[in-house]
Amino acid sequence: MDDSDEALMARVARGDEQAFRLLARRHLPAMAGLARRVLGNAAEAEDVAQEAMLRVWTHAPRWQPLAAFRTWLTRVVVNLCLDRKRRAQWVDLEAAGEIVDPAPGAGERAESDERERLLAAAIAKLPDRQRTAIVLTYTEGMSNAQVAEALDTTVSAVETLLVRGKQNLRRALGGVIDEGE
Amino acid sequence: MTKDELQTLLDSHGADPAQWPAALRVAALGLIASDARAREAHAAAQQLDAALARYAAAGTDDQTAAARVLTRLAGPLPRQDRGWWGLPAVLLDWQFTPAWPRVAALACCAAVGFMVGIAGLDRPFERTTTIASPATDITSAVFEAEPISGARP
Repeated sequence: MDDSDEALMARVARGDEQAFRLLARRHLPAMAGLARRVLGNAAEAEDVAQEAMLRVWTHAPRWQPLAAFRTWLTRVVVNLCLDRKRRAQWVDLEAAGEIVDPAPGAGERAESDERERLLAAAIAKLPDRQRTAIVLTYTEGMSNAQVAEALDTTVSAVETLLVRGKQNLRRALGGVIDEGE
Repeated sequence: MTKDELQTLLDSHGADPAQWPAALRVAALGLIASDARAREAHAAAQQLDAALARYAAAGTDDQTAAARVLTRLAGPLPRQDRGWWGLPAVLLDWQFTPAWPRVAALACCAAVGFMVGIAGLDRPFERTTTIASPATDITSAVFEAEPISGARP
C-alpha cells in the first residue's frame, strides 16, 4: 500500500482516522520543533503543533496536492506561529523577563555552553520573520525557494530576511561566535 | 564582485559555495582567493553557519512533545470541513454496498407496479364485460323485431 504523505492525505480526506494518526506520528516531532524555535516557548509550540494537525484533519477534504504535503504543513505551522506572535505583541517586554533558550533542558546546557545560550537568545530577539527564515533554513534544511513558499513571499524577500537576520545576529553576538571556534 | 556583495551572498546563501548561484560562484571564489578581508568574511560565515547548525540540532526532546500531542489527538476528532462543492464528489463516490439488496427490491417493486398499470390488470373484470355487452343497449330492445311474431314496435 502507498503510504506517501499524499496518499495518506487522500485517505484522510475520506475520513480515515488511522491514516491521519500515521501522518501525525510522522510529522509531529519536526513540526513541534519548528514551532518551538519560532515561538521560543515549548508549551505554546505543542499547542500550535496540535492545532496544525487538527487543521490537516478538518481541511483534508479540500486539500489539493499542488505542493508537497510537508511544505504545506510547514506553511500552516509557520502561519499559526506568526499569528500567535502578532497576538502576543501587546505583552510588555520588560514583564516578559529574560529571554531563555527555548529548548528543553536549556539550563543545564547554558552552564556548559555559554556561546550557544547567547546564540539562542540572539535568535529569540530577532524579528519574527527573520527568525522564521533562519529556522526554516537551518532546522528544516530548506532552500530559499522553499522558505519563500512556506512564508508566502518571494525568494528575494527571503534573501533580504536572511541577510538582515544574520546582520542582527552578528551585531548581537559580537565576536562570541568567532571566539568559540 | 565587491566585498559587500560577497557578504550579501554569504548571508543569503550560506558559506558553502555549492549553495551559491552558479553565476556568482566563480567571482566570489576569486575574491576569496585574492583578498584577505574576503577570506575573513568567508571564515566568519562558516563559523556562523556551524553555530546555527548546532542550534538547529539541539532540542532532541521534540519526540516527547510530539508524543504528548499525539495523546491529546487520541480522542474524538472534530467534523471534517466538507464544502458544498464537495457534494458531487460524495455522490459519485456513493457506496451502495451495504444496501444494494434493498435498493434492488425497491426497483423490482417499481417495475412490477409499472407493468400492472400499463396492462390494465388493476381494472375490475365485471366492469369490462358490462361495457362490452350489446345486450344492455336499450335502443336494441326498442327497435329490434319481436323474435316469435316478427312484429316491429
